[in-house]
Amino acid sequence: MSDVAAAPAAGRGSDDRAPRGARWLVGILLVLLLVPGLIGFDAWPLTGWRLFSLARDAHQTRWVIQAVEPGGDRRVVSLEDLPLAYRHAEWPMADLPGASDARRDDVCRALLGGVRRIEPGAAALVIARDHEEIVHRDGRWVTTHDIEPFHTCRAAP
Amino acid sequence: MTAATVRPQPPGRTAGERVRWALHEALWGPETGSRLVVVHVGLSLLIGARIALGSYRQLAITPPALFDPVPFLGWLDRMPSAEVFVALQVVGALAALAAALRRRPRLAFAVAWICYLVLAGLRGSRGKVLHNDLLLLWASAPFLLAPTRVDTGDRTPRRRYGWPVRTSIVIIALIYWFAGYHKLRRSGPSWAYGDNMRYLSLYGPSIGASPWPGLATWVGDNIWVARAAGVFILGTELTFPVVIFVRPARVLYALAAVFLHITTWLLLGLDYWAWAITVPLVLIDWPGALAGARRRRAAARTRAAAGAGAGAAA
Repeated sequence: MSDVAAAPAAGRGSDDRAPRGARWLVGILLVLLLVPGLIGFDAWPLTGWRLFSLARDAHQTRWVIQAVEPGGDRRVVSLEDLPLAYRHAEWPMADLPGASDARRDDVCRALLGGVRRIEPGAAALVIARDHEEIVHRDGRWVTTHDIEPFHTCRAAP
Repeated sequence: MTAATVRPQPPGRTAGERVRWALHEALWGPETGSRLVVVHVGLSLLIGARIALGSYRQLAITPPALFDPVPFLGWLDRMPSAEVFVALQVVGALAALAAALRRRPRLAFAVAWICYLVLAGLRGSRGKVLHNDLLLLWASAPFLLAPTRVDTGDRTPRRRYGWPVRTSIVIIALIYWFAGYHKLRRSGPSWAYGDNMRYLSLYGPSIGASPWPGLATWVGDNIWVARAAGVFILGTELTFPVVIFVRPARVLYALAAVFLHITTWLLLGLDYWAWAITVPLVLIDWPGALAGARRRRAAARTRAAAGAGAGAAA
């Protein structure tokens, strides 16, 4: 038998296939991708891939923070203006309604620490729900805000 | 020679046998060694870039009260120090570079992938489920066991080179399909043709840091643009598995994905550039496209020379 005849046909020969380890890896990856993907649960890096899956309308409620100045004036602080470590705090805040007072205070003081990095004069912080509505008024889109305070904490003296 | 030219005929005539064969080929069909290496090196470089350029050490100051570790990091009670982040970045970036240079590629790629997994997991340990890095992590996972002795000069597609690229394509297609599936499941088809995209755009600048808030307002002002965008997104996601079986469709879907992620960045300021690069890298047969372009140029030159010769003879 010549070398040519002995060579496996392209893409077919017994030595030209994925090894057993590859088959196991592919099987495991597909199971880990399919199960959370179909059910829709998250256990990062397993995920349901629910990207923007809830349709939006004119109303939305968000968790926001308000810095309280020594004189008592309040101002909403965008989480995007805080250092990176604080920017996803909307999710820990969303868990607070079912949390203990101690937990609420811990999260509030942690966020106050972040706010004081950009506003050293902030005397207190209010965690609040902002009920927003987008309306078309006088030819332009306007967002209205209805802020409902939820928890307040003060800076240590 | 392309993969299609060496693909054996389906063994059987029934619809069931043909479907089984198509699914088998989707994962285990042949690809060229050069395509495998291009994707492997490209993914290594991309992982290295995400590791080296990502803002990770700034997470070290995350207060424990705001630290919510992802499940596989559940044993941590707080963010690691900045020194740990920097060490992970240095080791991961060097390993990714070694993998790209084909220095002990399997070990180097695994080290880079694990460093990237941990860094991205730490970034996602602040309560919100972050998907920014997940497509790259998932699409590159088959390459953890990819063949490392590859003859890039061999133009013949081979099954031992094919499975990492093909599995990666299947994973990418499923990820986009799941994104569409959950939109349908949770919101119904009106996600696409209702007012959803209008309000998503108008609220967009409050979701992230949009670099172009004027675009969001323009989409909000023009409901048909918003609806067209919704239909495009949902349609692209739900039909994405076409790329598994229809090779010519891959370029189109890669371009659609790039467009989708660039506009997501412009509207919402969300960082999905790892997705925008991974998808065309994996879906498009770059060595095949380059060889095709060379062949077309050579054929054009031959035709031009023949035309000039005929003109001179006349």
